[in-house]
Amino acid sequence: MALDDQDVQAVRSLPVMVKHYQPGQAIVRDGDRPAECCLISKGFCVRSKTTSNGRRQILSIHIPGEIPDLQSLHLNVLDHDLITLTECTLGFISHVSLREITRRRPNVAEIFWRDTLIEAAMFRDWIVNVGQRPAPSRLAHIIVELRERLKVIGQVQGARFEMPLTQEQIGEAMGITPVHANRIVKQLRDDNVLEFHRGSVRVIDEQKLLELADFDGLYLHQRPSL
Amino acid sequence: MPRFHFHIVEDGRVITDEQGQEFTERDAVRREAVETGASIARDAFIRGSASQVIVDVRKGDELFLKVSIFLTVEG
Repeated sequence: MALDDQDVQAVRSLPVMVKHYQPGQAIVRDGDRPAECCLISKGFCVRSKTTSNGRRQILSIHIPGEIPDLQSLHLNVLDHDLITLTECTLGFISHVSLREITRRRPNVAEIFWRDTLIEAAMFRDWIVNVGQRPAPSRLAHIIVELRERLKVIGQVQGARFEMPLTQEQIGEAMGITPVHANRIVKQLRDDNVLEFHRGSVRVIDEQKLLELADFDGLYLHQRPSL
Repeated sequence: MPRFHFHIVEDGRVITDEQGQEFTERDAVRREAVETGASIARDAFIRGSASQVIVDVRKGDELFLKVSIFLTVEG
């Protein structure tokens, strides 16, 4: 599955409307009927769902190069929220033009399909992580996954990379309270595994981190040739 | 809004909460403390790293409430 020159040309000529967002802004919400998808050009976003008594679960973290609401192209009503974590630059592409390109360029349609399949694989992994691992491993796993994805877009410098989640948001990703999240963050630092500093992470002991994370990156399907 | 600090004590080891959180209702503080304690105890008990978890909630410097969770296995 690969794109030829004409596919790339067709993708490049898609009309994109660029917009800037502040941190913590909703891009689309549960129940919305979007008429466009958004490509993250700069910044981080999360997808989340909130229970009737107001408890928020973060479902996934999104980085530049991703289209986190691609599903809205075929599922009309959004079933979760998409929110910015940091300042973001987003490129909106209309469903009309996305539908047109997928009909005209089957390779592009296959790539989009593959993208949503990989997302589903990531959600399966997220369920296993939240349901089966103790909290320190859960956080280590989320961090190693994020690093693997940031590597692909060249955003890992040595042992340090961006991880702009607050303690409360770390708790929401792991299904624990902010105080428990604070305790895990401290434990990982005291055990010399990693350190959080102003929205970024620095790995102190790679070996310890990998052991704790119990990470097998197969589910990210980063090598299409496999 | 008053700020509450949730300090954790696991078998005597103290993990302080410098940041704290704001709550308007007493019940919400209690819920947060119980849930935090239960969730930390779950990890600690399974791992065997502690058999007692205390959440010591302070409003300013004064004790507001205290949740204690013990593991007892018999037989």
